[in-house]
Amino acid sequence: MGFASFAWYLKEFFRREWVAKFLFVKTAPLVTPPFFRDVPTLTEKECSHCRACMMICPAPGAIEVVHGGGVWHPEIYRGHCIRCGLCVETCPETVLASGRILSVQEADGTSFDATYYIQVDQTKCMRCGNCCVSCPVNKEVDPQMGSGGYSSNDEVIMRIEAGKHHVIHEDRCVGCKTCENTCPNTAIRVARVVTAHQGEAT
Amino acid sequence: MSLLQRVKNVVRSRSIHVCFVDVGSCNGCDIEVLATLAPRYDIEQYGIYVHNNPREADILLVIGAMTPQWEDKLPALWERIPEPKAAIAIGNCPISGCVFQRRDTYVSAPVAKFIPVAAEVPGCPPRPTEILSAILSLAPTVFKDFEERRR
Amino acid sequence: MKKVVDVSFPIGPVHPCWKEPVRLKCETKGEKVLQAEVELGYMKKGIERIMRGRPWQEVMFLAERVCGICSVIHNMVFIEGMEAMSGIPVPPRAAYLRVIANELDRIQSHLLANFSYCYTIEHETLGMYLLNVREKAMDLLERLTGARVNKAYMIPGGVRFDLQAEDHVIISSTLDQIEPDIMRYTRMFSEGPLIGLRSRGIGILSEVHAREAHAVGPTARASGIRTDLRTQHPTYQKIGFSPVVRTEGDNFARVMVRFQEVAESIGIIRRCLDGLPEGLIRSGGVCGAGTITHRGEAPRGELTYYLKADEYGRIVDISIQTPSIMNIEASAHYMIIGATSLADVTSTFISADPCIACTER
Repeated sequence: MGFASFAWYLKEFFRREWVAKFLFVKTAPLVTPPFFRDVPTLTEKECSHCRACMMICPAPGAIEVVHGGGVWHPEIYRGHCIRCGLCVETCPETVLASGRILSVQEADGTSFDATYYIQVDQTKCMRCGNCCVSCPVNKEVDPQMGSGGYSSNDEVIMRIEAGKHHVIHEDRCVGCKTCENTCPNTAIRVARVVTAHQGEAT
Repeated sequence: MSLLQRVKNVVRSRSIHVCFVDVGSCNGCDIEVLATLAPRYDIEQYGIYVHNNPREADILLVIGAMTPQWEDKLPALWERIPEPKAAIAIGNCPISGCVFQRRDTYVSAPVAKFIPVAAEVPGCPPRPTEILSAILSLAPTVFKDFEERRR
Repeated sequence: MKKVVDVSFPIGPVHPCWKEPVRLKCETKGEKVLQAEVELGYMKKGIERIMRGRPWQEVMFLAERVCGICSVIHNMVFIEGMEAMSGIPVPPRAAYLRVIANELDRIQSHLLANFSYCYTIEHETLGMYLLNVREKAMDLLERLTGARVNKAYMIPGGVRFDLQAEDHVIISSTLDQIEPDIMRYTRMFSEGPLIGLRSRGIGILSEVHAREAHAVGPTARASGIRTDLRTQHPTYQKIGFSPVVRTEGDNFARVMVRFQEVAESIGIIRRCLDGLPEGLIRSGGVCGAGTITHRGEAPRGELTYYLKADEYGRIVDISIQTPSIMNIEASAHYMIIGATSLADVTSTFISADPCIACTER
């Protein structure tokens, strides 16, 4: 048994191509292939701060649309981003790029489409106004909104009026879920129904 | 810097023993660490030996989001590793909790609350090339002049 | 006078053979194992609780992070469950692409399981060969989906990216490179004398015990039970495949079942590429309300998702049953008992391919 198994191992492992590989092979260089979906980088396109990327991002706290240096752009935090590539696919202005997602998306003609429904549980709502104040669309429509969520402007999405929370223009919601994150009670929820299309969206 | 310290720096940067502990991950980062052992991204050619024994380790790789069961065990494990030692957090989970950091979760990220973390490699999971370049860039500096810094 | 002592031997959470923390406590008499207990609970993150109230585009990422090794099948079973619940059709090209991604994932998972086994019986050379071949399969996955481990490739209504023209050729040629290597490693494993010494006749699970323990996946198929959920999936029925069954029920049989399944998967991918239909890859569909139980065949066995969604497609209740808990039960309570050497305990446990992250979400 002893010598037979030793001879088997010698015969199996000292083959000509193995010896050649052992003497001449080099390990792969530490490069990333071009089709790997890495953390998205900014292209030169202009961001229209529609916040579709914030809406679809599955990782909490990974992407934020900020106004820095006089220009709007999405800011991605590497420690939170899970490199799924959904924000790259959703952006209507192709501001973000990662791997070859944009070229594949153009060749296939695929896109994402979403509708939003705001639901407020009136038994849990404390009428603190955090949601109204932090909503970025509210901030653009009415920069002088009161700190308790009070507004005299009728074009805001939602406001606190006469001790109750009112949703006025649900169709203006962009689904960024900032209100969900600032509500202390999980009283407000934004249902984001996303569908994936190819070709012309019906 | 004495000659002995210089010899120690050279030796410590070229022969590192690694122990990895999984405090509650999905196994994705775990198998990317195993993939660095594969002959393609060979990590042993740099003198880095991945066994799993905390008593003989220099570097502890922390993988995964911190679950409540490990809150007392991970610091105890860290105490058992002999000096000089350093901890590296691999993946997004020990840095920020990744997708698990939601309202009703058991996870308490980051892991730096429990043990001192020397470096972080973000990604979900990070590619073996990224883990390797992080460890290689860390190797010369993490144990440099260890005795003099302690003093 | 020699005394044979009863020892409770813990194989602890942090161990060179385990990749994940699990504690295996063996009660032994001398070196013979009388009883074993498995202690789980080191990795519970409460994923099912986090998933409640979230729409599919966030639950999908949580579902595939239940286990990083078999992430494609979790994605597939969840998305197929949502589609069946809401009545969303899948175009044929997307169904074939899903099968290709699933089988590539199965190849890399089986190669990893066999590497784990070879590493545990200290045959690192063969283990490293397998890990090297696995890298080629990961390259193909990266080309198809864009990521190596957590791919997020399938969405309700189809898949995210199409197969580009040049990738079609690359996948076929890489499979041609992988196949002779896999055949050589299978032959090495089955003929190696020392490997046979440590695997044949060790950790036998008879068919009666396998049915009692409800073993699934390759663990059950190595004991003679002919069960494979892929035979009930419509796309697999169209492509045509047959499950791999062996009857010995020992470590050797389990590892060989996985090798043969890798060869079978390569055949399935080749048939898919030959018969890939033209057309769209997404059919666009809205997720609605409903309740459903959906099953799929993960590399380790049968995976079940129980889903309940509200009218906006958000998950109200979800329950996942993963295959590894049944295989761990079969391994700890049936296979390890009677092992005559403690060195066989770790190799038997690893040959049942436990995925602890799946078991405790």
